[in-house]
Amino acid sequence: MFWKRLFATVPSLEADEIRDFFARHREGTYDLIDVRQPGEYEKGHLPGARLIPLPELANVLDQLDRDKPIIVY
Amino acid sequence: MAAQLLNGQGFKEVYNFKGGMNSWHGLTATGPVELSLDLIRGEETPTEMIEIAFGLEGALQKFYLTVGETVTDQSTADLLKKLAAIEEKHQQMLLKEYDQLTETPAHLANQLPEILEGGFRFSEFLSQNRSVMQTISGVLDLALMLETQALDLYLRFALKTKEVSTKSVLYTLADQEKAHLASLGELAETQTSSSPLL
Repeated sequence: MFWKRLFATVPSLEADEIRDFFARHREGTYDLIDVRQPGEYEKGHLPGARLIPLPELANVLDQLDRDKPIIVY
Repeated sequence: MAAQLLNGQGFKEVYNFKGGMNSWHGLTATGPVELSLDLIRGEETPTEMIEIAFGLEGALQKFYLTVGETVTDQSTADLLKKLAAIEEKHQQMLLKEYDQLTETPAHLANQLPEILEGGFRFSEFLSQNRSVMQTISGVLDLALMLETQALDLYLRFALKTKEVSTKSVLYTLADQEKAHLASLGELAETQTSSSPLL
């Protein structure tokens, strides 16, 4: 049922686990998405993060690879 | 919220970075998305991209050597030489990759750009940072910052690039920068008591 999917919990990674993830995965095999506003991205972002502010996310889903692991913050 | 949206849209493996940048004390890239993106057109072939990277690495090597000439502390001067040597080694790797892609022998050496790896303007960056680069910790901090910006820039290049084979060159470059960062981090740990960075 749709609502189950909607409220399904998405796994969370803490900073240490993110660091670990970066060490274990080659670039290009995963996507890293920064959904904050451009000003926040500018002040500091994870190296390689792609800026897609949350209000725009739904419009660019087709540009993202559904089969790759994806980390969002 | 974003993670849930993606999860609901058929993305197979979604993770939410709990705590986000507020909880992140590791290496952080700064600047707008477009920063230094004008260094590429987005239509480069793999060999053209390697040429660009070769120039950026070479300029950074020259930067470390130039600062090293005026540093009085011997161990700081040695560190700068070591950093320059790392860039040179990276250039050698790039030459090998270049040679695998083309019949023409590489002719990359003589064209150093005014831009350092990471996207900074040579002379400006030198005058702004010469004074902080007189100590080991000052040099390490700056080197970590430069390599972090370089990693970020290569990955932003990859996003701008259309050609799949050129993208893959950029991902390899980014992986190599990650390896640099890891060894710099280890070096920094032996000098100070800082925690892991990336």
